[in-house]
Amino acid sequence: MRVALFVPCYIDQLRPGVGLAALDVLEAFGFDVVFPEAQTCCGQPFLTAGESRSAKSLFHHYLDVFEDFDQIVTLSGSCAATVRCQLPNHVPGSRAKAIASHTFEFCEFLVAHDVASRNLGHFPHRVGLHASCHALRELGLGTPSELRHLGRPDPARSLLSSIQGLQLVDLTRSDECCGFGGVFSVEEEAVSCRMGLDRLADHQLAGSEVITSTDISCLFQLQGLGAKSQASGAPGFEFRMLHVAELLAESLAGITSQSTATQQENGGLHGTS
Amino acid sequence: MVTAREEILERLERARPPAAARPAAMPEPSMPIDPMATLRDRLQDAGGSLQFATRSGWTEQIQWPVEATTLRHVYSSLNAMPGRGVGLSSKTNHDLADLDVCVLAAEFVVIENAAAWQRPGCLRERAAALLATHLIVVANATEIVATMHQAYARIAPSDASFGWFLCGPSKTADIEQSLVLGAHGPRTMSLILLSD
Amino acid sequence: MGHRERAREFVADVDRTRWHDQALWFVRSKRDQAADLVPDWEALRDQASAIKRSALTELPELWREFEEHATAAGTVVHWARDAHEHNEIVAGLLRDRSVRHVVKSKSMLTEECGLNSYLEAEGIEVIDTDLGERIVQLRGEPPSHIVMPAIHLQRAEIGELFAKEMGSAPDLDDPTELTDVARRDLRDRFLKAEAGLTGINFAIAETGGFVVVTNEGNADLGTALPGLHIASVGLEKIIPQQKDLAPFLRLLARSATGQAITTYTSHFRGPRPRSTQELHVVIVDNGRSQLLGRPAFREALGCIRCGACLNTCPVYRRSGGHSYSATIPGPIGSVLETSRDPATHAELPHACSLCGSCTDVCPVRIPLHHQLLAWRGELALSGHHPAWRRFSLNLVAWLFVRPTMYRLLGRFARGIGRRLPPTLREDLLPAWTRQRHLPTIPKSSFRELYRERQRQPKRPRPQAQPRPRHERNG
Repeated sequence: MRVALFVPCYIDQLRPGVGLAALDVLEAFGFDVVFPEAQTCCGQPFLTAGESRSAKSLFHHYLDVFEDFDQIVTLSGSCAATVRCQLPNHVPGSRAKAIASHTFEFCEFLVAHDVASRNLGHFPHRVGLHASCHALRELGLGTPSELRHLGRPDPARSLLSSIQGLQLVDLTRSDECCGFGGVFSVEEEAVSCRMGLDRLADHQLAGSEVITSTDISCLFQLQGLGAKSQASGAPGFEFRMLHVAELLAESLAGITSQSTATQQENGGLHGTS
Repeated sequence: MVTAREEILERLERARPPAAARPAAMPEPSMPIDPMATLRDRLQDAGGSLQFATRSGWTEQIQWPVEATTLRHVYSSLNAMPGRGVGLSSKTNHDLADLDVCVLAAEFVVIENAAAWQRPGCLRERAAALLATHLIVVANATEIVATMHQAYARIAPSDASFGWFLCGPSKTADIEQSLVLGAHGPRTMSLILLSD
Repeated sequence: MGHRERAREFVADVDRTRWHDQALWFVRSKRDQAADLVPDWEALRDQASAIKRSALTELPELWREFEEHATAAGTVVHWARDAHEHNEIVAGLLRDRSVRHVVKSKSMLTEECGLNSYLEAEGIEVIDTDLGERIVQLRGEPPSHIVMPAIHLQRAEIGELFAKEMGSAPDLDDPTELTDVARRDLRDRFLKAEAGLTGINFAIAETGGFVVVTNEGNADLGTALPGLHIASVGLEKIIPQQKDLAPFLRLLARSATGQAITTYTSHFRGPRPRSTQELHVVIVDNGRSQLLGRPAFREALGCIRCGACLNTCPVYRRSGGHSYSATIPGPIGSVLETSRDPATHAELPHACSLCGSCTDVCPVRIPLHHQLLAWRGELALSGHHPAWRRFSLNLVAWLFVRPTMYRLLGRFARGIGRRLPPTLREDLLPAWTRQRHLPTIPKSSFRELYRERQRQPKRPRPQAQPRPRHERNG
C-alpha cells in the first residue's frame, strides 16, 4: 500500500530521527512510503496564534501537496488533528474534506492496519505514555479521564502493550497536559513550565524510565524542563524521551536485520540535552 | 421613550439565531435493581441517613437525632408527631431559631439522588425547616421515582408558590474543601420511609 | 498587568500552587465519579445542550411567556439594559421600603454588576451569606471561583480573618469550628435582614417561576425570613418548560462538586399567597444580547455556571482565579469576559494550552477551547495583538508556503544555531530557556537525510515477523 508520510516541520528541523524511525517501521510492515518533498507545515502554529489567514495559506499548501494520496500518515497527533478537525472549517469543499479525512496519526494508522497483532519485538523497560491532548480529545484516540465511560481504544497504548517486555506504568493523572501548547509555552511561560514539571514528577513517582508520546513537541517541553532543572541541581528527571515511532523502531531492530545506528548520529533516539 | 423591556426584546429579536427545534424527550432511565440501596448510598453521600419504620408508631421506632424525651421545641407538619414549645406557638422567626427538630412530610423521593420533594404549607414551615437544628423528612416507602425525569412528571407546573427538593443536612465545603454539615440550616437530616 | 504576569506571581509560590492544583483536582475527580454513576451521562449532555440551543432561538417569546405567568402569580418583573440599570432598580426597591439590611446569596450576575458597592454607597448593609463569599467579602476581594469563592484560601488564613472580624480564637483553624463561627455570626444577620437577594439558576417560561440551588440553605433562609425577595437573572437563564429542569438538575451538581444534587433545590413561583411578602425578578441584558448576535460564540450563553471547566483546567488550577482579573475566571470566563470587553481581556484566550478538557466536562457541550481559539483569530483581526507579533508570524507563514524558502530558512537557522555558543543561543530565546533547555540542533534535516537514504542502494526489505501464536493471547 502506498502511503504518504507527513513529517511535521519541527521534526524535520529538530528531530529528523523520528522521521527515519517512522520510515523504518512503516517499511518493515510492508508499506510503500513516499515523502512528498514540497511539504512544510500544517499551519497549526499560525492558527493557534490567531493568524487564521496565514494558517489558511498553509492549509491550501497541504492540500496541494497531498492531493494525490489516499493514505497520509503524520508523526504528530496534534498536526493530524489540525488537518482533520480544523482545516475543513477554514477551507470549504469536498476536496479539502476528503484529503483531511485521509490524514492519520501514525499509531492510529498502524493499528487500523492490524500492526498491533504483529511481532513488535522486545523493549524491556518501564514506559510512561504521555497522552497528547489533541490525539486524545480532537482525534478521539483513547479515552480522556473525564470521559472514561466512553471507553475509546487508544492506538498508541495498543501498540505499546503488544511489545514484549515493555511495562506501561500507571500515572496519577493519565492525561494531564504537558503545558507546551505552541505559543502558550512562551507567552504563559510560568504556568507552562509548572505544568511540565508536574508531569515529570508524576512520571518519576510512577517509575518511568522512558517517556513516549505520539507528539514530540510535548517531549521537547518535558525534555527541556527535565534537563535544565537537573543542570540547576534540582531533583533528577532522568528519562529517555522517545516518539512512539522511535520506540517501535528500536524494539523492531532487535528482530530485523536492520540497524538503526544512523538515527542516533542524527540527533535521533536519545534525549540529548 | 423606549422602555428597557421594549429595547431588550428588540435587541433579542435582532440577534435571534436561526431556528433550532426543541429536542424530543430523552428515554426515561429505569429504576435501579435495588432502589433502597441506591437511595441509602446517595443520602449517605449527602450527609443524611435513611430509616425505615411502619406507619403506626414510627415515632417510637426511629432513632431520633437527640433523645426524644429531651426535645423541647418541635415543629411538625404530621399529626403523628405533635409539635411542642415554640413549634406550636411561635409568632416570630426569632423564636423558630430555638427549634430542636422540624418534622416534614414529603410527597415522594427521587432514588438517583435521594432528594425528597416537599411543599411547605406556609412560610413559617419553610423557615422552621431551615432554622431547626435537626430535620426529619417523612415519606411513604411506595412513593419513589427513579430519576428527576419521573419526578417532574409528578409535579404539575401550576403547583404551589413554593416547593423544594431536600437532600441531606445543610452543608458547605468552602473552607479547604472540607465537608462540614450544618452550614446555616439543620446539622442532621433523616429521611424516614414508612410502610404499612 | 495581564494574566501571564499575575499567573507568574501565583506560580512563584510552588507549595501553594501545588495545594491549589490538588484541591481543584480533587473536585474534578469527584465529578468523574458522579458521572460514572449515571449511565445516560452523554445523552443528558446532548439533551441539555439541545434545550439551551433551541431556547436561545426563542428568547423573546420565552421571556414574554415568563413575564405573563410570573405577573399572574404576583411576581413583579423588571427589565434592565445594563449593570447600572439593574443596580438602580434593586436600590430603588430597597430605598422605597427603607431597607437598611440585606442578605444576599451567591449570584455571579450581581458580582458582574457590582451591586454590593452600589448598595453600600447608598448606606445599605449587604451581607454575602454563602460562606465562601462571606470570606472573600470580609477580605475585600472578589471570588476566585464561581462555585467555591474562597478556594484560593487556606484554613489558617480564614482563622485569622474570623479572629479579626468575628472575634473567634486567633489560632482556630478547624473547618468545622470555623464554619460554626460564621454560622452564629450570620444567623443573627439573617434574622435581622429586611430583604433577601438571590440569583436564579433556571427561569421557567411555562410557569413564570424559577429555581435556585444551594448547599448551605442561605438562599432559602435569606428569602424565607424577610418580607422582600429580589431575584436577578441574566437573559440566558431561561428554559421553556418545567420538565426541562430534569436534565439540568441531573447535570449541574454532579458537574460542579460531584454531588448527585444540592441540599436545597428551591422552586419559586410568586410570593406566598395570603402573606405580605413581595417577590421581584430583575431580567438583565448587560451585553448578553450582543453575544447572542455572534454565531461563533453564542453557545457560551448556555453556561449553567457549574464551574467544571475551571476545575479541570490545568491553567486555572495553577494560576488561581484572581489571575484572570475578571468576574468569571477559567475557560468559560475567558470566553464571556473577552466578549464583554476585548481590549481589557485580550490575554485571556491565550491563557489556555488548548488541551480541550474543558469542552469534555462541559455539561451543556459548549465548545470552550474552540471558542478560545476562535477568539484569538478575532483579536488578531481587530488589532488586539502586537503588530510585531503579527508581522513576524505572517512572514514565517509566507516563507513556509514556499518549500525552497522553507528549506533554506531551516538550514540557515540550524547552521546559526549550531555555531552559536550554547549560552548565547539560550539568551536569544529567554522565554523558552529560562527554565528549559533547547532541543539539540541536528546537522541535517529529515528531508536531507531522506534524500541520502533514497540514494543508497535499496536495502533488503526488513522482515517483520508475524507474532508466534502462543504469544498473541498473552
